[in-house]
Amino acid sequence: MPPGTLQLLAQGAIVSLLLAASAIVGGTLLAIVLAVMAFSRLAAVRAAYRVYVYVVRGTPLLVLALLLFYALPALDLRTGPYIAGTLVLIIYTAALFAEVFRGGVLAIPRPQWESARSLGLPPLAMFRKIVAPLVTRYTLPPYVNVCVMTVKASSVLSIISVWELTLAAREIIERTFAVFTVLGLAAAFYFVMCFGIDRLGRRLERHLALRGFAGERA
Amino acid sequence: MKVSRVYNVLAAGVVALLLAASVPVGAEEKSRMDVVLERGKLIVVTLTTVPPFAFNDDKGQLVGFDIDIARLVATALFKDPNKVEFVSVSAEGRWPAIESGRADMGVGGTTTYPDRAIRVAFTRPFVDSGISVLVSKKSGIKSLKDLDQEKFTIANLNNPQMADRAKRFFPRTKVLTFDTPSAQFLAVKSGRANALQIDTPAAEYWAAQNKDEMDVLPGLLGASQNNGIFLRTGDFKWWLWLDTAVAEMRTGSWYPQYSEIYHKWFGKNPPPQKFYNPQ
Amino acid sequence: MGFARWAAIYGPTYATGLAWTAATALAAAGGAIVWGCVLLLIRLSAGRWGALGVDGYVQLFRNTPVLLPIYLIYFAFPMIGLPWPAVVCGALALVLQNGAYVSEILRGSMNAIDRVQFDAARSLGLAPWNTFRKIVLPQVLVYSIPALGNQTVLLLKDTSLLSAISITELTMQAKLLTEQTGAAYEAFIVVALLYLLLVSGTEVVFRASHRAVRWR
Repeated sequence: MPPGTLQLLAQGAIVSLLLAASAIVGGTLLAIVLAVMAFSRLAAVRAAYRVYVYVVRGTPLLVLALLLFYALPALDLRTGPYIAGTLVLIIYTAALFAEVFRGGVLAIPRPQWESARSLGLPPLAMFRKIVAPLVTRYTLPPYVNVCVMTVKASSVLSIISVWELTLAAREIIERTFAVFTVLGLAAAFYFVMCFGIDRLGRRLERHLALRGFAGERA
Repeated sequence: MKVSRVYNVLAAGVVALLLAASVPVGAEEKSRMDVVLERGKLIVVTLTTVPPFAFNDDKGQLVGFDIDIARLVATALFKDPNKVEFVSVSAEGRWPAIESGRADMGVGGTTTYPDRAIRVAFTRPFVDSGISVLVSKKSGIKSLKDLDQEKFTIANLNNPQMADRAKRFFPRTKVLTFDTPSAQFLAVKSGRANALQIDTPAAEYWAAQNKDEMDVLPGLLGASQNNGIFLRTGDFKWWLWLDTAVAEMRTGSWYPQYSEIYHKWFGKNPPPQKFYNPQ
Repeated sequence: MGFARWAAIYGPTYATGLAWTAATALAAAGGAIVWGCVLLLIRLSAGRWGALGVDGYVQLFRNTPVLLPIYLIYFAFPMIGLPWPAVVCGALALVLQNGAYVSEILRGSMNAIDRVQFDAARSLGLAPWNTFRKIVLPQVLVYSIPALGNQTVLLLKDTSLLSAISITELTMQAKLLTEQTGAAYEAFIVVALLYLLLVSGTEVVFRASHRAVRWR
């Protein structure tokens, strides 16, 4: 193994994780806005949501990233690869999260809506006490899945020269030709990160179910 | 099926709106020169895999002839060669980095071409270059003419000049296109390609490092060329200063510093300051 | 120049890219479905170790980005004496990655098959291979059509990554045009629209097949 490989790859992994984390935070916030739009009473707002999701999910992430990165100068905006990369990841994950949230809300059985309304609860309390716990229960597994997808998606940003784990591995390989070793190590780093997130998600699921947050007792 | 047709129309509408909204903004009033002086630091975009112009050494530090020239520019501005920040990109990322204002200037084995000069401005050359072909010894190619056969593959960088040269000099050779010189080199080393075309100093550097496997073919592809510093077009004040700096490095008061850098990376004296004997 | 004029002049150059993207996606999708079926068969017939092996394979490809196998197969295989052409390398990486997901989809659909059918098959004296071929596989595939359609769309989008190993598909075409003409905006908008077209087309095909078999 070429000297310094582990350090460089570890640094790259941390950058990938930070990119994914910012994208997950930003994406979740944007997704909440989008999900609200998805259930708006105005047909135009709902249509805007569907167009957004259609375009973002129908275009490869690489093309979205290249579009943002190379076409932004046309709008006279100054961005480096990191900002463009995080932005595109946020746009991408927001579409995925929004669909997860929307699916979660739609999965709530009708009787729950009706009983909530018959209780005469104000919208905020209804959201807090009934919708949120149920939506969380239904959406936690796909949410964790999208988080894992975000970590994997960050590797695509290497092609627009955002320095993260995949680019770090590529640079080492192009310098030293230790293709198998370095790619194997990079794969191991990704595996640990993604598998770890997956396991954490499952523990969180069990934890929430036990605490009754999911709307039913253990 | 009808539903997705509606989406198609809506998506096209959104795109049309985006295009209509992207009216070009007015030009900058402030020169980059003032911005840089105010900032106290120079931001330089560069390729990072073109030895000996700009590359990472074994310790992972960015070094090279172009890097040292950029530091010389910083010394001229701030009396400190460390007041530089380097932004690393792949080949096609150089122009957006300048156009978007992310970087003040760029280096990295970048050759001056008229069609490129439409998008970015170039100073006069700070080093001569040319394009050579590096081949793997295993392929048995001994001359440029040998390369022009269907069974061989050449690795190009993804810029139009390389594509043109390949069409002109080796129309029969198969072409692979990569986004960094080191990817080209990896392609030759791993056997994906039999040859690559790149600036002569880079080809010679790689051949020297891989004496048993690789060779540089004699002759240049086309003419001797100019590598210059590139910067945003339309900024006369900044271009004038950078060009003056390069002029002084090659033919004037900063020639000693320039010579030192030239010697360090090419192991020989730079071209003489003047073509006549200065009194 | 205006978008419409640019598209009119440079539009046709996208034709090769479009053809490559569609062809590679088709081949890789077919390969991935076949490979997914093979993985399912291994899981069912090779006992505990088979199931564990397939599980490990699936976990490996679910938790690593697809760019890594693409680079590995393209750059490393020639070094061990397997200099396959770029398209083969790219398609192989896509098949290996998506085959894992396909096998999970099929496994999920298997639970939809009534256990009774397995008992009936055994009482008829059908060998396991025939049970798989005549009873399990057709039903599982039919049940999986929507999810397989989804996976195919993902695979289609992943073909854009093959531009990194110098395959002249749509994304690579857009990058080359950008370099040639400096019109990054136009080049990539056209490519995005073309991808949307391909994705919609794929969804239409799968929805139609779903309706066709459900009718039975």
